[in-house]
Amino acid sequence: MGGDGEDEDDYLSMSFTEQPATPKETSLQRTTRLKKEAAERGRVLSKKELAEKERTQREAALATQLDASNKGAKMMAMMGFKGGALGKSGDARTQPIELLIKNDRGGIGMDSEKKRKVRETAEAMQGLEKKRKVDEAGFRERSRNEREERRAEGMMWSAMRTLEAFETAAPGDEEAGEASRDTHDEKLPPVKSINVLWRPVVKQRQDRDRERRMRYDLDQSLSRKPDYDDLNAETEDRLGFSDEVQETVEDDPELEAFESLTFAERLARVVEFLREKYHYCFWCKYRYPDADMEGCPGLTEDEHG
Amino acid sequence: MAEEKQPSRFKRQKMVDDRDNPYLAHIYEDEQHDSGVSLSGDSSTNGHLNGSTSNGNGPALKRHATTAKQAKVAEDGPTNFFSGGHLSERYFGILKKRRDLPVHAQRQEFLDMYQKSQILVFVGETGSGKTTQIPQFVLFDDLPQQQGKMVACTQPRRVAAMSVAQRVAQEMDVTLGEEVGYSIRFEDMTGPKTILKYMTDGMLLREAMNDHDLTRYSTIILDEAHERTLATDILMGLLKEVVKRRPDLKLIIMSATLDAQKFQKYFMNAPLLAVPGRTHPVEIFYTPEPERDYVEAALRTVLQIHATEPEGDILLFLTGEEEIEDACRKINLEGDEMVREADAGPLKVYPLYGTLPPAQQQRIFDPAPPPFKPGGRPGRKCIVSTNIAETSLTIDGIVYVVDPGFSKQKVYNPRIRVESLLVSPISKASAQQRAGRAGRTRPGKCFRLYTEGAFKKELIDQSYPEILRSNLASTVLELKKLGIDDLVHFDLMDPPAPETLMRALEELNYLACLDDEGELTNMGKLASEFPLDPALAVMLIASPEFYCSNEILSLTALLSVPQLFVRPASARKRADEMKDLFAHADGDHLTMLNVYHAFKAPSAQENAKQWCHDHFLSFRALQQADNVRLQLKRIMERSEIELVSTPFTDKKYYENIRRALVAGFFMQVAKKDSSNKTYTTVKDNQSVLLHPSTVLGQDSEWVVYNEFVLTSKNYIRTVTGVKPEWLLEIAPQYYDLEGFSKGDIKTSLLRVQQKVQRRAQINGGR
Repeated sequence: MGGDGEDEDDYLSMSFTEQPATPKETSLQRTTRLKKEAAERGRVLSKKELAEKERTQREAALATQLDASNKGAKMMAMMGFKGGALGKSGDARTQPIELLIKNDRGGIGMDSEKKRKVRETAEAMQGLEKKRKVDEAGFRERSRNEREERRAEGMMWSAMRTLEAFETAAPGDEEAGEASRDTHDEKLPPVKSINVLWRPVVKQRQDRDRERRMRYDLDQSLSRKPDYDDLNAETEDRLGFSDEVQETVEDDPELEAFESLTFAERLARVVEFLREKYHYCFWCKYRYPDADMEGCPGLTEDEHG
Repeated sequence: MAEEKQPSRFKRQKMVDDRDNPYLAHIYEDEQHDSGVSLSGDSSTNGHLNGSTSNGNGPALKRHATTAKQAKVAEDGPTNFFSGGHLSERYFGILKKRRDLPVHAQRQEFLDMYQKSQILVFVGETGSGKTTQIPQFVLFDDLPQQQGKMVACTQPRRVAAMSVAQRVAQEMDVTLGEEVGYSIRFEDMTGPKTILKYMTDGMLLREAMNDHDLTRYSTIILDEAHERTLATDILMGLLKEVVKRRPDLKLIIMSATLDAQKFQKYFMNAPLLAVPGRTHPVEIFYTPEPERDYVEAALRTVLQIHATEPEGDILLFLTGEEEIEDACRKINLEGDEMVREADAGPLKVYPLYGTLPPAQQQRIFDPAPPPFKPGGRPGRKCIVSTNIAETSLTIDGIVYVVDPGFSKQKVYNPRIRVESLLVSPISKASAQQRAGRAGRTRPGKCFRLYTEGAFKKELIDQSYPEILRSNLASTVLELKKLGIDDLVHFDLMDPPAPETLMRALEELNYLACLDDEGELTNMGKLASEFPLDPALAVMLIASPEFYCSNEILSLTALLSVPQLFVRPASARKRADEMKDLFAHADGDHLTMLNVYHAFKAPSAQENAKQWCHDHFLSFRALQQADNVRLQLKRIMERSEIELVSTPFTDKKYYENIRRALVAGFFMQVAKKDSSNKTYTTVKDNQSVLLHPSTVLGQDSEWVVYNEFVLTSKNYIRTVTGVKPEWLLEIAPQYYDLEGFSKGDIKTSLLRVQQKVQRRAQINGGR
């Protein structure tokens, strides 16, 4: 206590260090603790536990090298032993022979065969794990790409529709767009003549309309009595379908070339066209009065922040 | 040449004449040739040497200058070259066969090399005849009788030393124990005439402890060196030094495998002589897939061989007694069924393992059974063996070998101080050796129950030498006694891990055999006199302090022999009941002692064999224990250790014995865990169970154990209850609680210590 160098602070530090960390246990507590300990000591171990205890104790002892405190070591030091091996040449063994206890009747090589199998299974498992990990990374990448593509697609369609609105409502009147929608069936110019940049919109709409019509026809045919034999009608329908399919499948190299581009690229084309022709910035959602497009930060989405 | 350096002055002084000196032999060369009647000029002065004077027309052999031709003449008789007796019919019968052995063809080559070089490495496969013939080749050239010396040939196993000595005595037409003898632990079968001594390598090592230069021998042959037993390895390290001090000593290292370069390199590039064995090609088959159950696969393979392969006996290698007996039963059952249902030939199955009684071991040499009817499917025998059939035992007629690739091997780990037998994969060298057993009589097949890939990848090249797999406490004690002080730099072929030496030194220090400087203490010197583990020796030496040295002597003998209690699978219950008759509640050691006392009682001795049989006891083990006891008693008397007993009626009779046990085995103590059946070993903190064979009551909190058995479970075997205060009192240095890690054992011992101190205070205050 007085051994501290800082004598001045001594009274303070003493008062702290001397304080018992835990309150003294009562006799009752002590009795329960001892009882608990005794019970643990007195617990009859199962055969398995005993074998395990035996094994761990043996392994612990086998792993412990005799040290210099051993009387024999001191005597050997007196004989000039300086570590290493015994004997004249000094290349003898330094460790006792390993103690291997055989507990079964497995033949020579059985143990290593077992170990090999375990190792192989482990390796196979590891392989799977690795593959799964690779997959995981790939999945994230892929899903990110997909998400981006979906987003680009959505924007592309929206840009196309904007363009369509500009193109169809040439005079700049809003209702025109509406009208054109209603009338496109009748007085629609051939699809191919439409600007390829918004042709997909028209095409999509036509496809959808055709589908609606077909469903309507189907509903009509279903409403007929089942016993009503109308093979002809069916054939006609079939013919009709095939005709239309033929129509849609009709070659359109321009469109095909355009659709082979990625959504982002198609989007970029449309956006650029809108700027050039209509001074409209898809990102600003604003039609500038002139080609200078003063106030628009730039061509890409990124430039718009 | 090296007269000044030669240490065996005493023996040399006995010689009267320079003619006796082999290194001056050239001076008298002519004389010897002229004499014609004598062996080599020494005979006139040395009366005890047989064959020299009596053999009037014997050839004149000059030491280290003989030829194979001369030896042949000497062997042809008609009088025995060494004993001078008349050679028998049988001798000539055997002689003829001996000359057909592969080594015989190279006798001259061997002699040339032997004469030229001090050290020689000799490689001959099993069956080449090296173990029986080479020592005889040496005898005819080394002529040890002229020097008053002997030729020693070491064997790793007692049984081999005994049986080979017997065989060679026959071959030489002499009485076992005279010219040819053997010496194994607790049994010396040699005499003053002995010139060739087969002995265990351990025995030669013990002799070296009292005779550092092994002056009794003119040539030392280390046989089966490839087995690399602990004693052979130490002997090699020792002899490497001795040959420098004794230029007259010749050394031959004999190995059965072709990895002899290692021996050559170790022995300063000694020359090598290889003799091919008589072997036929062996085709090797591997399984396409590793086997789920090698025993089952082995049985399947054996039966398949029996069903489909042409005539020829089968040798199956398994790991231990239980496994082997079980396999034998199953093969027998299945074989009978095959006879009934598939018209297979008769199949005889024999087990073979070290602890099998010799008479039963002998049965493996029975011929295969004949077909049921003349011209029927051939009969076959199948031997199911441990790896003793791998190198040491040769069984002719084996054509098929089934090798599952395992054997039980001793392992030691200094970190948990456990020496135990564990089933382990064999080495490539062992596998080749096993396969070779199939090609002894004709081309054979070896079925390896593992894949070729596993053979190449999983098996180590060479088995680990024993020195790397053993507790070295008694070896260190021996080395100390051999005068080797620098154990760290001692030139061993394969030095053990440093921790093994560390542990050995530590144990010997706690046993007070070595002091803190590593010097041999009086206790250590005394302990090294006993061919025992240091712990047992220390217990024996300390036992008079506990007034029970007679009893501890018996117990030590009992612990040095194989299992006393017989427990055949067919009569386990009855055997256990019989064991209970001797049971002492305080433990297995005391039970063993009860058995011994009952065995020695006059009523049992009337017909000891029957008595043992009735009580499910091993007569052989008890007999052996009796013999060991006698040998140990002699050493005790020589070392002036008192033989005392506490009166049996004294209530401290058993307590004293238990206390004496602690004096030796205080490092092998376990304490019971508070609730479970498990025990925890002191210091090493290993969770162990009492071996199911114990008679000890479950209430013994502290026990000493003789053995830690490592199997799928950790067992301690042969346990006896002790009191913790004895541990503190008898082994205070080991039980210095300061060094104990925190835990139940330390807490308990601290409590005991306090109690003891309190009691001492009270007593002191009085």
